[in-house]
Amino acid sequence: MIQSLSGPVDTRPWWQKLVQNYTLRTFVQSLFTVWAVITFVFFLIRLMPGNPVEIYVNYLMNTENLTYQDAYNRAASQFKFDPDASVVQQYFVYLGQLLRGDMGESITSTGTKVSSQILRYLPWTVFCVGSALLISFLLGMLLGMLAAYFRNTWVDNVISFLASIVSAVPDYIWAILILIIFGVQLKWFNVGDMRGTYDPATPPGFNLPFILSALQHAILPITTYVLGSIGRWVLAMRGSTTSTLGEDYVNIARARGLKQNRIMTAYVGRNAALPLFTLLAISIGFVLGGSVIVEEAFVYKGLGSFLFWSISQRDYTSMQGVLLIITIAVVFSNMLADLLYSRLDPRVRVTGDK
Amino acid sequence: MSEVVLSVQDVSIVYRVSRGQVKASQHISFDLHKGESLALIGESGSGKTTVSLSFIDMLPSAAKITGGKVLYTRDGKTENIFEFSEARMRDFRWHDCAMVFQGAQNAFNPVLKIKEQFLDTARAHGWRDKGKVIKRTLELLRLVRLDPERTLESFPHELSGGMKQRTLLALGVLLDPQVVILDEPTTALDILTQRAIIEVLKEMQSRLGFSIIFISHDLALAAEMADRVATMYAGEMVELGSTQHIFYEPLHPYSLGLLQSVPRLSQDKDELSSIKGNPPDLIDPPSGCKFHPRCPFAQELCNQEEPVFKEHEPGHFAACHFTENVIEARANLWKKD
Repeated sequence: MIQSLSGPVDTRPWWQKLVQNYTLRTFVQSLFTVWAVITFVFFLIRLMPGNPVEIYVNYLMNTENLTYQDAYNRAASQFKFDPDASVVQQYFVYLGQLLRGDMGESITSTGTKVSSQILRYLPWTVFCVGSALLISFLLGMLLGMLAAYFRNTWVDNVISFLASIVSAVPDYIWAILILIIFGVQLKWFNVGDMRGTYDPATPPGFNLPFILSALQHAILPITTYVLGSIGRWVLAMRGSTTSTLGEDYVNIARARGLKQNRIMTAYVGRNAALPLFTLLAISIGFVLGGSVIVEEAFVYKGLGSFLFWSISQRDYTSMQGVLLIITIAVVFSNMLADLLYSRLDPRVRVTGDK
Repeated sequence: MSEVVLSVQDVSIVYRVSRGQVKASQHISFDLHKGESLALIGESGSGKTTVSLSFIDMLPSAAKITGGKVLYTRDGKTENIFEFSEARMRDFRWHDCAMVFQGAQNAFNPVLKIKEQFLDTARAHGWRDKGKVIKRTLELLRLVRLDPERTLESFPHELSGGMKQRTLLALGVLLDPQVVILDEPTTALDILTQRAIIEVLKEMQSRLGFSIIFISHDLALAAEMADRVATMYAGEMVELGSTQHIFYEPLHPYSLGLLQSVPRLSQDKDELSSIKGNPPDLIDPPSGCKFHPRCPFAQELCNQEEPVFKEHEPGHFAACHFTENVIEARANLWKKD
């Protein structure tokens, strides 16, 4: 009694294969999502009170004592922005630009490409939030697994208790606590020295002083992000490991006489980590956005703080640029999560799409 | 009879719970001979699995072995399993004594190919020659009537329930163990697959010569599989004998009750008789014979004195004060049919 395992032979025509291709379909869906968000963002930000010219007019009237008319003329001549142009017309102009891969020019910093602004701030956020995510993910998994192995002992109690507390406090509260307690009260570091992304005295370049300076400036936001997110990883990994430990195949692996560390890694660890990898891939999307408030608190010049600045200036094009990047990152990391999961878990591998 | 592989002597195991101690198995003794299959039958909770788990030190943490010893003999050397070091026990598992658990549906790690899991098992016991392991695996998979190459390259979810069970059987004998414990190996399988599994098992046993402890509450399967049968009730062994003894000449009222609760095709009785009452509370078991509250033959003596588990005829043991009444009753009963 030989049982066959092979599926039926794929006889679909090429166009049907194309339409039914899982990766391609996911990709097209993602593009559609991005377009929908762009459109939503475009109209939403124009519904905010005030526009770039008005904000600048107010600024000029307050600082340089100009009359409204003078200020308006100056603002209008400085900005390539016509507040009276039709919004729908602007929308199609913008879409046309995007299709050519152009995010346009900043409204308030005339002559500066939005893309070059983003490229200036993005690496800092990626570096800072990315390393925080990695630390938090690895450390969280380790602690979560430890808690699960020693469940209902003091090790588990301490880890779970701390993780619950830590995960209940949002990261901007940690930012403020760190600044006030360790910076202002205990004076462990000079708050002023930690501002920015690196010491202006060390010119950017691939050399030790610059790297050290970058690390030194990133350490506080990184700590903040880790504290803000590690609890979630610990609790997720603890739950996942606990349920995996109860699986038959783990018990049977023990009955098979496998060595403890082989069981811990290939049998428990690998299965317990599966759902966490999906979470990780989704989190990667949010790395680019960083956290507006945390970057503001540490005056860390990343994408989040740039977004904050462009919102306050009503710099529509910059805002659109940043939000577009964040949207793309989130949507495509979700797609990545899907695809990654199917690579890691043979059970969800889509047939005919290897 | 052939040599004794596993000698279980007076083993008692309790589970510690908040209400006290659950006496899950009490004073269990039996010998397992080379190449024989012994079936343990009895209701759920009668201690069949608990006893078997103790042989490979896989009891849940709430369990405690309170007495007895299990002597294991291989190549003329006899050791007490309960005195094994951790390392010795790890090697003993699967290499000397493999346990195929009930419900193989989830027995394999879902993210590793079957091949990896066979190699893992071999590697853990020092079988370094990959080619040799694969060769033996292919042979065993053929023996359990699967397509060897394909099964080897499959992930567990690509196999059906029956295929998984057979793969697990093949894995069970990979290291040529002396004892294979089968805990309800055919539960959750359809009747045709059960049949196939039993045939495969018998064939493997005759080729490889291991001993089987077969745990089941399916009496028909036990009758077919086993050379000897032991009936367990409330954590105690109440009867032990050849398959012929237990199924045709039972001496214990509980064995008789079990037989009466199973339909026979040769019988046109409309109703089956069940054993009245429920299994006793094992934290506070009844005095005397634990079966007396449910026993149709019970007399005052049964309430006061625990019957001795003794040999009534060569190779046929039972723990009952009034076996002669049982003999009489079963004669009347089966005459009527």
